[in-house]
Amino acid sequence: MSHHFVKYTNVHYRYEDGTEALKGVDFKVTHGERVALLGLNGSGKSTLLLLTDALLFPSEGEVNVGDVPVTKKTAETIRRSVGFVFQDPDDMLFMPSIYDDVAFGPRNMNLPEQEVERRVNKSLQEVGLKGMEEKSAYQLSGGQRRSAAIACVLSMEPDILLLDEPSANLDARARRSLIELLKGFKHTIILATHDLEMAEELCERTVILSEGVVAFDGNTSQIFSDPEILKNVGLL
Amino acid sequence: MTKLEKAYLAVNNIDRIRRRTDSSPVILLVTIIYLIAVLSVPVDRPQGIVWLAAYPVIASEMQGIGYGKVFVKSIWILPLLVIIGVFNPIFDKVTVLHIGSLAVNRGWLTFISIIFRGLLSFQAVILMILTTGFIDIFNMMRKVGFPSVLCTQMLLSYRYLFVILEEAIVMKRAREARGYGRKAYPFSMWGRFIGQLLMKSTRRATGIHRAMMARGFSGTLPLGAKYSWNKRSWIWLISWTAVIALLRFMDFSKIITEIIVR
Ligand SMILES: Nc1ncnc2c1ncn2[C@@H]1O[C@H](COP(=O)(O)OP(=O)(O)O)[C@@H](O)[C@H]1O
Ligand SMILES: [Mg+2]
Repeated sequence: MSHHFVKYTNVHYRYEDGTEALKGVDFKVTHGERVALLGLNGSGKSTLLLLTDALLFPSEGEVNVGDVPVTKKTAETIRRSVGFVFQDPDDMLFMPSIYDDVAFGPRNMNLPEQEVERRVNKSLQEVGLKGMEEKSAYQLSGGQRRSAAIACVLSMEPDILLLDEPSANLDARARRSLIELLKGFKHTIILATHDLEMAEELCERTVILSEGVVAFDGNTSQIFSDPEILKNVGLL
Repeated sequence: MTKLEKAYLAVNNIDRIRRRTDSSPVILLVTIIYLIAVLSVPVDRPQGIVWLAAYPVIASEMQGIGYGKVFVKSIWILPLLVIIGVFNPIFDKVTVLHIGSLAVNRGWLTFISIIFRGLLSFQAVILMILTTGFIDIFNMMRKVGFPSVLCTQMLLSYRYLFVILEEAIVMKRAREARGYGRKAYPFSMWGRFIGQLLMKSTRRATGIHRAMMARGFSGTLPLGAKYSWNKRSWIWLISWTAVIALLRFMDFSKIITEIIVR
């Protein structure tokens, strides 16, 4: 996969209970781009991210990551190149120590333990958690847990990063350092968030979801110059 | 802190303070050997069990944990042991021993014996968990031949237990915050509480499962290379097996009594 793009073509998703979370989503994220995904609660942001990491599959339409269509068969390949930072870091930290949590992905990839160690150290370094290897998630602050969750994904060296409301439940300082951290990333990034400022600072482009469809797709700066855009989808 | 939270922390902490160094299946093997030794001592011979305390005492010191910590963690099983053993002194009144003018019946001996063997077995297990952590233990079970599906299942159930507990704590707090000091709740509300708890913990478990899948989990947990078996493991295994066998089969009580009497 030389091209780290993501393409959504008429994507529909219906949950088992009949809820139509996505009703025809179309857009494309190109290599190295950072896109903010805005929308009210329940607008389908998380669902779209789950589809992008082959954790759910479209009921209709298609998601492509690079040249590979997201299907059950390609799930393993997709998950290797797409890193997903879940909304709740506690979902991602379940091993007895941070080290083991961050090593979980690389070990699943059957990398030699030496390489696992290199990646764990590097990822922890990047998110500023060096020296916390032996701690358990439970001993970390909210911001540190978020960083640990990000390290868990970085250690898999993905091409594309999905982040689901990463600044939720962070205090101002932790949020600041998260933004600085993400600024340094070269990955293609899709960032689902309610945090308008964060979107503005990190992403040139914004896609707004409203009730399962794309309500806006354009420059982030446009949103700030034209309040109608946010008003129309209830974000203001 | 509520009782629920205390219980949660008690179990969780056990898993958390383990050190990574001595993670090797040898601890699991020695623990199994020790349990067999303790449980095979006849119930009416508490004097045969006392000496086996040497293992948890010495091994926990050698592991740098300290017997005090292990002991404190082990005493909360006492009530359970008392319940199991309490009827023995009442029903089994055959006198077996005289201490001065005091007649000791067999019921008391078995009672003491049950307390000792329960406490010591539990201490050995705690020591194992403290040095290795549950997750490693499940992994080691795999290393020494338990089916990997079973171990992963156990591991996930173990994790799920925490998920439920965590959700229960959150819900209990929320309830208390709105309860205006109310202590008792009608039965119907408990039904709802449990229903909600199941729903929430299912959602949480789904999240965890997804997060595992997203990182390449395919049914078996990856083993780290740190579960090593080296010369130290052999030394630990052989010397403890020897010591435990010695303590189990030599009648130290008798030897010492004889020395004192003489
Ligand atoms: N597991 C599920 N079962 C049924 N409906 C769900 C499930 N998860 C989410 N939904 C519904 O799908 C819609 C989109 O949810 P979601 O993608 O989580 O939105 P967002 O992340 O933007 O808040 C909502 O109406 C939500 O209630
Ligand atoms: Mg969401």
